[in-house]
Amino acid sequence: MSGPAHGFDETMISGYLDGELTQGDTQRVRLHLEGCDGCRRLADDLRKLSDATMATDFRTPSDTQWDETPRTSASRLFHTSSWILGMIWVIGLVGFVVYQIATDGESTRFDGLIPLGLVATFGLAVLSALIDRVQTRKTDPYRKVKK
Amino acid sequence: MSEHLPSPDADLVASARAGDRDAREALGRKVGRSAYVFALQLTRDREAAGDVAQDSVLKFFKNLDRFDVTRPVEPWLYQITRNRVRDLARRQQHRRHQSLEDWIDQGRPDRAESAASAAADAERADLQRRIWRSVSLLSDDHREIFVLRDFHGLSYREIADVLSIPPGTVMSRLHSARTNLRSLLSEHLDTDQETPPATAQEPHQERKQP
Repeated sequence: MSGPAHGFDETMISGYLDGELTQGDTQRVRLHLEGCDGCRRLADDLRKLSDATMATDFRTPSDTQWDETPRTSASRLFHTSSWILGMIWVIGLVGFVVYQIATDGESTRFDGLIPLGLVATFGLAVLSALIDRVQTRKTDPYRKVKK
Repeated sequence: MSEHLPSPDADLVASARAGDRDAREALGRKVGRSAYVFALQLTRDREAAGDVAQDSVLKFFKNLDRFDVTRPVEPWLYQITRNRVRDLARRQQHRRHQSLEDWIDQGRPDRAESAASAAADAERADLQRRIWRSVSLLSDDHREIFVLRDFHGLSYREIADVLSIPPGTVMSRLHSARTNLRSLLSEHLDTDQETPPATAQEPHQERKQP
């Protein structure tokens, strides 16, 4: 169908379907399609493909996602880390309490880890919020507007 | 080649730049959704698409003051998004991809007014699933040019801008992408079915409104 023997530049079919050809080329393609079954089938198939593709809808996250201040990678990392650390801390705290009850409160080996975990968790969360604040200040178009 | 169409978002962009909070939020939602869908089509990864879209929106608003409001928003947004996707691909070369058919929204029961139209809707939905499964298998170059034209409705000139390629290359690369896709789908396209002969289309005036 394509190539020198065929004598027709098949890529023009796409340009024709998309309305991107000059008048002369459009006319040339139209005449060719009238006399060439293979190219006409190709054009019909491509038209069908394009129509179905254009009519597709994709599921997107809820609109509220875009209302939030866009987060930078660093902010997201700290935010996620603080949540993970927080969960580990809660599990550790529960384990520690159970351990204390089981051993009658004799051991103090893990005492230091409890406040440390709490500080680290809140520290990461604050850091994440701080990065967001700085980012917002940089990108906020109203930052120069006096309240 | 077609010239840029007047931007339908010019007023929205101008208002957002002038400090209208509602316009800014509306624009954020619009570009967020568009960037997300395009990023999803390129990355085939929901999580990555969300990250890329957020970064793209951030960059979009950061440079909004420098944007020419008479030009359409999408080509610029897609250029930003594509660059973000490329950055991500360089960092995460072994990321696992999924098929795009997994994220198609097919909840449109109100369209079917009769059994015949319901059958036609089902047939179209099936074709769309097959198309997007096959689009997932195209090369990166072919997938991006195909979705920019046949899903997002950009003109050849706009596609050339987004992909930083000569306008003359757009038609040949796009045609190559389409014929590859057709080959992947050949057993699913009913070419014997009675269809009106192909005619030249007007350039897409409407852009995708996710």
